[in-house]
Amino acid sequence: MTASPEDIFDKLCELLIPFNKNGIELKPDTEFSADLSIDSVSVMDFVMEVEDHFDIDIPLNVLGDTHTVSDLVKVVESRIG
Amino acid sequence: MPVEATAKTAVSTESGRDTVELLPHLNTGLEKRLGDFTTLIEGLEYAARGVTGVNFYSPRGALEAAVTYAELRDRAKATAARLINAGLKRGDRVAVVAETGAKFMDVFYGCQYAGMLPCPMPYSMHIGGREAYAERIAGMLASAAACAAIAPDDLIESIREAALKAGTERVMTHDELAAIDTQGAELSPFKADEAAYIQYSSGSTSHPKGVLISQKAITTNCRDILRHGMRVMPDDRAFSWLPLYHDMGLVGFCLSPMMGQVTVDYLSTPAFARRPVLWLKLMSDNRCTIAYSPSFGYDLAARRINGGAVDLDLSQWRIAGIGGDMVRSDVLDLFAQNLKVSGFDARAFLPSYGMAESTLAITIADVDEPVRTDVVDKAMYKARGRAVPASPDIAGDPEKVRSFVVCGRPLPGHTVKVVDDAGAELAERAIGRVLARSDSLMTGYFNNPEATGDALLEDGFLETGDMGYMLDGQIVITGRRKDLILHNGRNIWPQDIEWAVEHIEPLRDGDVAAFAGENSDGTDSVIVLVQCRSKDKGEIEDMRRQVSATVNRTSGVECQVVMIPPRSLPFTSSGKLSRAGARQRYLSGEIAEINAAAPAEVPQRMAAAG
Repeated sequence: MTASPEDIFDKLCELLIPFNKNGIELKPDTEFSADLSIDSVSVMDFVMEVEDHFDIDIPLNVLGDTHTVSDLVKVVESRIG
Repeated sequence: MPVEATAKTAVSTESGRDTVELLPHLNTGLEKRLGDFTTLIEGLEYAARGVTGVNFYSPRGALEAAVTYAELRDRAKATAARLINAGLKRGDRVAVVAETGAKFMDVFYGCQYAGMLPCPMPYSMHIGGREAYAERIAGMLASAAACAAIAPDDLIESIREAALKAGTERVMTHDELAAIDTQGAELSPFKADEAAYIQYSSGSTSHPKGVLISQKAITTNCRDILRHGMRVMPDDRAFSWLPLYHDMGLVGFCLSPMMGQVTVDYLSTPAFARRPVLWLKLMSDNRCTIAYSPSFGYDLAARRINGGAVDLDLSQWRIAGIGGDMVRSDVLDLFAQNLKVSGFDARAFLPSYGMAESTLAITIADVDEPVRTDVVDKAMYKARGRAVPASPDIAGDPEKVRSFVVCGRPLPGHTVKVVDDAGAELAERAIGRVLARSDSLMTGYFNNPEATGDALLEDGFLETGDMGYMLDGQIVITGRRKDLILHNGRNIWPQDIEWAVEHIEPLRDGDVAAFAGENSDGTDSVIVLVQCRSKDKGEIEDMRRQVSATVNRTSGVECQVVMIPPRSLPFTSSGKLSRAGARQRYLSGEIAEINAAAPAEVPQRMAAAG
């Protein structure tokens, strides 16, 4: 599968819709914990959606360093690449 | 004990097999022995004579590794030799990240053969939470005065960072450890009168306390669990997604099964959190008979199962244990209802009570009895500290009654009593401090005589820190003691406030902390911290009003509601809310109101005094 960073960003935004309960506008620098405030169980739910969609695995340590949506775009890019 | 004979078999069997074969649960030709051993090593050596062992599943449910207890024994002996050749000494503390896998077990049992104390460390991380993780590990390493830390590749950087802070000199990945020669090391396993391991399930995340467990305590508790609690049978098969750094995962689903030659199928905790239904599917596939979970795990699985239950067969599941948090009967009902079509029998639910300070188990309900719920009069419970059965005319009114799940009789050899503040034993149905005594109690908190003195009383009883009452010889837990709020002569349990507030949409479990503040005249005020995900000032103030109204409605007290950022509440490493920690952080200003524009809410009496 080839996907540009823009494609990945768009897809992540789509996958985030059910978790973005406050309807925050999603930008590359939107932070998961501070801006979206997803709790830890929902995060796992979202990560599973991302893993299943892109058919990748995201290990714990990588997750620990992922703060923003654009961080996650990079993670997905490197994992599918 | 020479190691040469076994060193050559130490190569991982995971890579040696093309396809992994699921290990069986039946040991033909080997007599079942339920934990009658004096050390963990004695138990492992016996289990190694059979064909049972541990199976590990990937996050997507594929069988990734199968390691028999015989292989585990060989690997552990080789690991022991490497730890010794690495320069570590007998009695040294070896921190090891407890990821769900055979490599953690190699080190844990390897330490047993080398006479070193393994200290399992958490394997968990939130999104963007790397720094917090390193901080938490550093606290544990320092508390254990760990001589070495061993971690999987993916977490090694965080562990190095933590080790640097804590002064732990040696940090190794499993591969680095495996590269050390096994030749020439003389193993010296722990003897029956020695220590076994240090467990970090206790104390707040910022001030961790390591529970030191002896061989006597762990072997006694495993025997109690296997023989009297679960009454393990030859065809039992266990399943676990519980973290191995927590007492329920480590003692209940790693050490106890080994001491009873029981095969365990494992799914890692993060994998369970992502796909909770996989737990039930694998149990169905493998015909597993025993699994434990806190209430929230049953809740998660019940909510995610949707229509999938019809494809499962859980009719063989005979022990669905509940422990690790307050047992919630509403959750058990939901799970039983949603899984009924799979053949799941609600009689499998088995409430239990225990803690790391008692190795694990103190009471386990009767396997043959259904879950018993005690419905008590809320007014009597609050005003008099007595659990009086609700009369029929109020029994259906949730405002007037409180339901508690009965957690069973003390295991044989365990004594549980409920006492008042002066230490006098109370009659049945009177709520007081829960004390426990048995051969399973911890030796103490490692290197912490002060905390040990507070927990282990002179007459040999453990101050559990829990409040509860006895009912027909069984224990009922009502909450934590030290968190009690005294208000106008009434006892207010913060759990009650939190429980009520967490039911306000969109709040969740763990979003609320209630505790006592101090008025200028020395009386308690009630402070409620609420994690708020909204940034909209109108929404924040609306939530504040709802919380205040709810607390007033449920507990009849005025409270100060403080809206705080998400994830600022501290939790213990076993995942329980640390109210004392929350209180301390709030009073020190570390946690503060997010809506600075909000009118300063000064308790009236304070203002009057000022």
